[in-house]
Amino acid sequence: MMVPVRCFTCGNVVAEQWEEFKHRTREADEPEDPAKVLDELGVERHCCRRMLVSHKDLVDIVAPYQ
Amino acid sequence: MEDYEVQFVDRSEREARFVVQPITPAFANGIRRAMIADVPTFSIDTVRFIENSSVMFDEQIGLRLGLVPLTTPPGEFQMGEEVTLSLDVEGPETAYSGDLESSDGMVGAADDKIPIIDLKEDQRLELEADAVLDVGKEHAKHQGGVAVSYRHLQQVEVVGDAGEFDDDDPQILRGVIEEQAAEDAVETGGYEPEDGQLVPTEAFDNDLTNRYPGKELEVTDVDGAFVFDVETDGSFSVDELVVEAVGTIEDRAAELKESVQL
Ligand SMILES: [Zn+2]
Repeated sequence: MMVPVRCFTCGNVVAEQWEEFKHRTREADEPEDPAKVLDELGVERHCCRRMLVSHKDLVDIVAPYQ
Repeated sequence: MEDYEVQFVDRSEREARFVVQPITPAFANGIRRAMIADVPTFSIDTVRFIENSSVMFDEQIGLRLGLVPLTTPPGEFQMGEEVTLSLDVEGPETAYSGDLESSDGMVGAADDKIPIIDLKEDQRLELEADAVLDVGKEHAKHQGGVAVSYRHLQQVEVVGDAGEFDDDDPQILRGVIEEQAAEDAVETGGYEPEDGQLVPTEAFDNDLTNRYPGKELEVTDVDGAFVFDVETDGSFSVDELVVEAVGTIEDRAAELKESVQL
């Protein structure tokens, strides 16, 4: 639903980077390469990278049914 | 008592890499474990909801709040001490960790931009939370050190020239090397060849053939020298984490000494 606050594996805080990652790779007019964006955001380990790469925000989808 | 020599390879507020020598594997691991489990940090433990009309249950929001790292100045608080924080956000807006207001200026969200919950029109989140000081041994949310590890310092020796018809396969090595064969090395990543110098393997793209072209190499561990990789979640700086961790070992040793003396 909301992006996990920390990486499940190592405990690094990943939620802080989410909004910029989402914007630059999915919402921008010219989406950038996710690998490059993650490098620039300083999300180095692959355990943390998968947290962002595999996430989908669901609040907008769930909200009407509350 | 021997003196420990500490050399930093990288150093910043939340991330550092340093070499300690001479140190035994047992003590190196003791420090690592102390950094993970024994240095207390503040973390939200009890939440009183005044209003929660968001799409998430109280428990889910409680979990998210618990994972938000809170700044913890070392030595200022006792174990179990509590600090109250409050949050009041009305939609349409996202509630962020930065919206948490603390009753104590020293304790607050270490990162301001962690989204707690996305609130829609007419939704509201109002709550009061108690953060408690405890250790990582009790709950992982109190763990100040993230991905703390150590590995042997390595040295690279040149044992001859690579055969003329050898495959030029890369020789991958990760960690930090202590340069031993500067006369055969080339400058990479801003590190001029110099014996005794600490070179992170990223400087030559983790491939030894970039640093020592055309040589046959042998990599060995340096006895009693360990490279620590330390990262914190923002509760405190790396320096504070390491000093506090060593402090907890010292305290326990002193306690043991006292109880043995009768
Ligand atoms: Zn991770």
